[in-house]
Amino acid sequence: MLQDGSTQLLCLTASSGVPLFTRGASKQLPFSVIGSLNGVHMFGGGQGALLSSCETEGGGKVVWKVFHDSVMLIAVSGGGSSGACIGEEESRLQRLLENVWSCMVLVLGQDELVNLRNIERLKRDLRSCFCLIDKLLEEKHQGVLGDLTHCADSLVPPNPTPLQEAVDGFAQAADSEFGCLFVHGRIVVATEKWWRLAPQEVVLLCALVRTLSASGSASCDYPVFLPQGSPTVAHRLLRFQLLPGADVCVLCGPTPSLQKAETELVGRFWSPLIETLRSCLAVGERCLPGSVPLRPDVLALLLINRETRRSVSCVQISSHHPLSDSSLSKSRCWELLKLFYIFSISRYFTQEETLCGSPEESTQSSHTEDFLHGFSHQPQQCYLVTEECKSYGLQTQQHQFFLLVLPSVPTFALRTVATQTLADIISATAF
Amino acid sequence: MFNLIDGNSFSNNLEDFDSIRSVLLYSDLEPEWLDDIQKNGELFYLELSEGEEEAALARVAASQCLSTNHVRFSEKEAEVITEQAGTQRRGSRRKGEPALKKLARILGRKRRPSQRKGGKDGSRGKATPSPPASILKTQPGQQQGVAVQQRRRLKEACVYLNPKRLASSPTPLCERGGLLEALLGVVHRPAWTGGQTDRGAVRQDGRLTVHGLIPNSPAIKCGQILIGDVLLAVDDVDVSPENIERVLSCIPGPTQVRLLFLKPLEFSLFGYKAQKMKASPPVSQLVRLLWGEDTAELQMAIGHIPHIVMYLSLKLDSSSLQEEEEILYQYPVSEASSQLKGVRGIFLTLCDMLENVTGGHIISSSLLLGKHLVHVGYWKEHNNLLVVGLPAERVPLLSLQTVVGDVVRTLKVMYGSLNSAFCKPDHAPRLDHFFCLFFQQLIQPWRLREGAPPPLPDVSGSLFLDGLPAVRWLTLPPEIKMEVDTVLSDFESSDFGEMSEDFFGLRRLYVILGSCLFYKSYLIANHLPKEDLLDVCLYCQHFCLLPLASEQRVGQLVIWREVFPQQRASGGPAPGFSQPQGRHFLLIVGLRHFMQCVLLEAGGCASPALGSPGPDCVYVDQVKATLLQLNTLEAAMEERLNVPSAPCLSCADWFLPAATTRDRLDSLASSSPVLSKLAGAIRGSPSGHRGRSLFGEKSRRSSPQRSLSDSGSEGPMDAGSGLPAAPGLSPHSTPDSGRRIGGRRDSLGSDGSGGSGGLFKMPRMKHPNPFYLGTLKKTLTDRETEEMYNTTKLTSGTENTLFHYVLMETVQGIFIAPTHREVAQLSGSIHPQLICNFHHCCLSIRAAFQQSLPARGCRAADRSQRSGWGLGPVKEHGVLFQCKPENWTDQKKPAPTMTYWVIGRMLLEPVPQEFYVCFHDSVPEVPVEMAFRLSFGLGL
Repeated sequence: MLQDGSTQLLCLTASSGVPLFTRGASKQLPFSVIGSLNGVHMFGGGQGALLSSCETEGGGKVVWKVFHDSVMLIAVSGGGSSGACIGEEESRLQRLLENVWSCMVLVLGQDELVNLRNIERLKRDLRSCFCLIDKLLEEKHQGVLGDLTHCADSLVPPNPTPLQEAVDGFAQAADSEFGCLFVHGRIVVATEKWWRLAPQEVVLLCALVRTLSASGSASCDYPVFLPQGSPTVAHRLLRFQLLPGADVCVLCGPTPSLQKAETELVGRFWSPLIETLRSCLAVGERCLPGSVPLRPDVLALLLINRETRRSVSCVQISSHHPLSDSSLSKSRCWELLKLFYIFSISRYFTQEETLCGSPEESTQSSHTEDFLHGFSHQPQQCYLVTEECKSYGLQTQQHQFFLLVLPSVPTFALRTVATQTLADIISATAF
Repeated sequence: MFNLIDGNSFSNNLEDFDSIRSVLLYSDLEPEWLDDIQKNGELFYLELSEGEEEAALARVAASQCLSTNHVRFSEKEAEVITEQAGTQRRGSRRKGEPALKKLARILGRKRRPSQRKGGKDGSRGKATPSPPASILKTQPGQQQGVAVQQRRRLKEACVYLNPKRLASSPTPLCERGGLLEALLGVVHRPAWTGGQTDRGAVRQDGRLTVHGLIPNSPAIKCGQILIGDVLLAVDDVDVSPENIERVLSCIPGPTQVRLLFLKPLEFSLFGYKAQKMKASPPVSQLVRLLWGEDTAELQMAIGHIPHIVMYLSLKLDSSSLQEEEEILYQYPVSEASSQLKGVRGIFLTLCDMLENVTGGHIISSSLLLGKHLVHVGYWKEHNNLLVVGLPAERVPLLSLQTVVGDVVRTLKVMYGSLNSAFCKPDHAPRLDHFFCLFFQQLIQPWRLREGAPPPLPDVSGSLFLDGLPAVRWLTLPPEIKMEVDTVLSDFESSDFGEMSEDFFGLRRLYVILGSCLFYKSYLIANHLPKEDLLDVCLYCQHFCLLPLASEQRVGQLVIWREVFPQQRASGGPAPGFSQPQGRHFLLIVGLRHFMQCVLLEAGGCASPALGSPGPDCVYVDQVKATLLQLNTLEAAMEERLNVPSAPCLSCADWFLPAATTRDRLDSLASSSPVLSKLAGAIRGSPSGHRGRSLFGEKSRRSSPQRSLSDSGSEGPMDAGSGLPAAPGLSPHSTPDSGRRIGGRRDSLGSDGSGGSGGLFKMPRMKHPNPFYLGTLKKTLTDRETEEMYNTTKLTSGTENTLFHYVLMETVQGIFIAPTHREVAQLSGSIHPQLICNFHHCCLSIRAAFQQSLPARGCRAADRSQRSGWGLGPVKEHGVLFQCKPENWTDQKKPAPTMTYWVIGRMLLEPVPQEFYVCFHDSVPEVPVEMAFRLSFGLGL
């Protein structure tokens, strides 16, 4: 039996049901269970009834998905503390499966996954995805919502212009059009082409860079397939650590070599900007420069630019605030923000579809949002008053904004607080 | 059947009783429903009132369609008594009932046994209902002597006959034509051969040829009987000139008869088509469905939508080799459902396996069948599993659990447990009927209502309102409420006549545990504990009894069955107190728009019930008497329904920028002469008819502008509410649009100082209403908005911005929402959409409340370990919507928009309540907040 709150991921070959790997919960599900989970889906598929999800009491959830008729991914969540309610948990798991599949493509390329020639070799190769997949499964990693929102987590620097110039110049010098600067695993600036990558790819590359920089090496050269852009041809991802917490990377072809780029280019472009980078690092998890005023009773916020597919999120716990609830920890704030985002998205707001896999698969996922289609009028804003905090979400043509405030803020003031905060951020950062 | 009692024996305690009760008690008339009682004592008897039936027939005549239903008509009890007292005098004792019933059947065969047994007679096949066996029938072979080639020239016509009119009409019975002319209106002249030119004229001697039709007779009204037709049979009884009078004289009371005609040759082709054409139902599909007719057609209409209910056994018994033995029950048998049936292995496996994986029973799963997403709900009981598959577009996942929970509870109330419901083979036809109703209500509810399907069926509305653990309540003025309660209490005290113990010195048969009273689908009085009320209400909801009583005047409805109230079955709330071990019976009696549900207990204090007792006449008649007594209050109820309750509502359409509204109204007015005249009248004579309340209102408001606008809007309103008095105008649309015209015009015409403020609501508040949220909210909104918003709105001043609301009292199990009539009066094009949207949103809000609540209810034990919803307990949840008018064609200007909130709030203290409101965005936040506080502080 799964523990509460843990999620287990099962990967099998779709045609033969050979298990490829399982990740997640500390205790693996018995093989018989894995077999039956796969079996019911296969049986249903044969009868023309495609099983997509299942829910049990206590918030447990099972989601099936087959990718390219070759790989079957099953996510089993034990419910419990992390369990959102019915629709929410499902959309989280659906998204997880899409991300896992994209991860596998990113690392191994689509060819190897679709044409299953040698299963044993595939099993071995898949091990290289594990650290990335584990990152996705891990609930705890704070401050990064990209895998959920499919919008790149960004950090708004106090002074972006020199950084932008540096990234553009650096990428050009490295014979690449795709360059990006990360601070604390969030994108600070990137070349224009980088933003043209599919949002999901950007998010996955962010995750990849985070895992690579967590490994501690100063630089690396990593082959990646782009799940949407080039699922069959690999590119090189060059990553250089500029400062602890600040990384720059480029996607490039065969040239230049890692050695050459590291010795010649990094110093030339980035050493003059060390101080600017330090100021970026100082922004830290707040993601917004100090010039943006935030009300003291704001607990957390998530701002998504729907056009550029970028997001800014932050949690501010001011312990000295007299009204702040001491019981609300930082991690709980992140969790609440995440849950509120999923809640709003699965019920009221539209989430930009990320095309993943074949077209029929994407239509299938759109079926799960049937509740949203039941509204005859368009939901614009919503709020939720719970015991721990008050949450407000609003959607405009360009933005989606989610705000958590202290329970002490009167409910009728929520809307004003939210719109005001949004206006403040936009005017200060032009996000 | 009534007991023949020597009136002297208890004369002294009768004097002070109601005359109705006495009449009923002493009448030894055999009740109409007696023949419908099932072997197991159950009864489902429904007949429509005469007015309904005639209206239905008029519709048939208008559409030239065939009708096949058979209805019995009710008369006032008193009339029946006088008529039949002589023929049916016979005595009986309670214990002798079964024997007497048999006797009654032999002797009293004057009425056809109806097929309106709600599918309980078991004879209703899955494909087509068998034709009713007519008592009038003299020979088994139908249409003997009719040549095969003649069959295509046959036509049927249904005619409503009322022999009573015959007696009452001053004109003497036409000697020559006899009953055929007098009753039916068909002129037949046996000797009349002159002028007949067709070939068949020679052979016409032995035939009943229609030679003429009498004006205003049933025959001519039905519109299908033509001169030259030959009457062959009346209700499957072959007729000839010799026996026609006898046959017609056998018709005991008002009824509908089916006439079979042979048409002259030249029309045969049309006739064939007409016969083939499927009849549009003269009575609503719902009634037909309740009678157990015609389920095949309804079921066929949804055959392509995958839906299924299965009761599967989880026990594997390898010894027997029967195929599909694990399916204990299944419905329906259609192509789409067979696919779901084919994958039942998935359901069984998942149910068995997932418990070990995630530590909880499976609740639901989603399947993609072709293009249809199907949600499957599960309910496990002992070793069996109930699986309900429903299309996702009708039942979102959020409400699936409620739907399945409700149907399980209904089954448990009706049968005690799922096992006893499904495992008895003779229950199958009833379950078929049960689930037919279930799926029809969920998948195509509009088919059950009358009229054309609405452009936008409010599926979520019924899901939400039916899913609430509460009954729709109608607040009544205190004096009426008291009267109703007194009448009910009188009845429940059961010290009347045979119901009292000292009458016979015997233990009474049943103890009345309580009763509740509905008027037009609103609960108006309840003397039942909450859980019992919910049980009863679930039953009524399932059989659509509530809408039935509101849409159609029910001639008579008698339902009797054993029930298993869930609270009582599970041992009761208080530890140490054990419920008396008794059996419970539900008696529902409906008369016209009233319906009373009585919960009876046998055993315990009363004598234990043996076998499966049928309805006891004494109790039925006492309920009927109560209802008749209450009938005097109908006018007051209607008045209450016509007066919008205190939280006055606005129509969403009024809030779109005025230009569009005015344009639309102008076009409306120009297209309809009546309307434009009305609009002109409103503008021209502001001092038209004026409601009583207006004077009170005027004293409060001194501005001449106000009173002008008041009368402008009030005039047509009163015409609307005084509906019976002024039948000339179409009751709903005209006054309403007139009101809107008046209101809008005035508010637009005012120069900004006056305003259309309380225009739509204040004058109509006639009753002090216990639900005074609106008053408070109103005053608040008025005062505050006047202070805060002076010039911002197009129509300056304050407008009522409340669109809709639902308030649920969890403890009492009731909820209050605007009445259907109130909503209908608001009409508008956007407003219905808005209400749909409101309900849809409420589904989501309530789901959030439910999921955050500590688990309660029947699955509490299983849920206790659940650590709660991720977001924590939700107290309040609101969503802001934006709407645009549909079909906005103006390319230059962007469509005007209107934004409104839907907010739900749950309160656990001081009394658990849930409150859902929908109001316009322009309300400042402060008064909303205060209105919430106040309403919750005060309660009902």
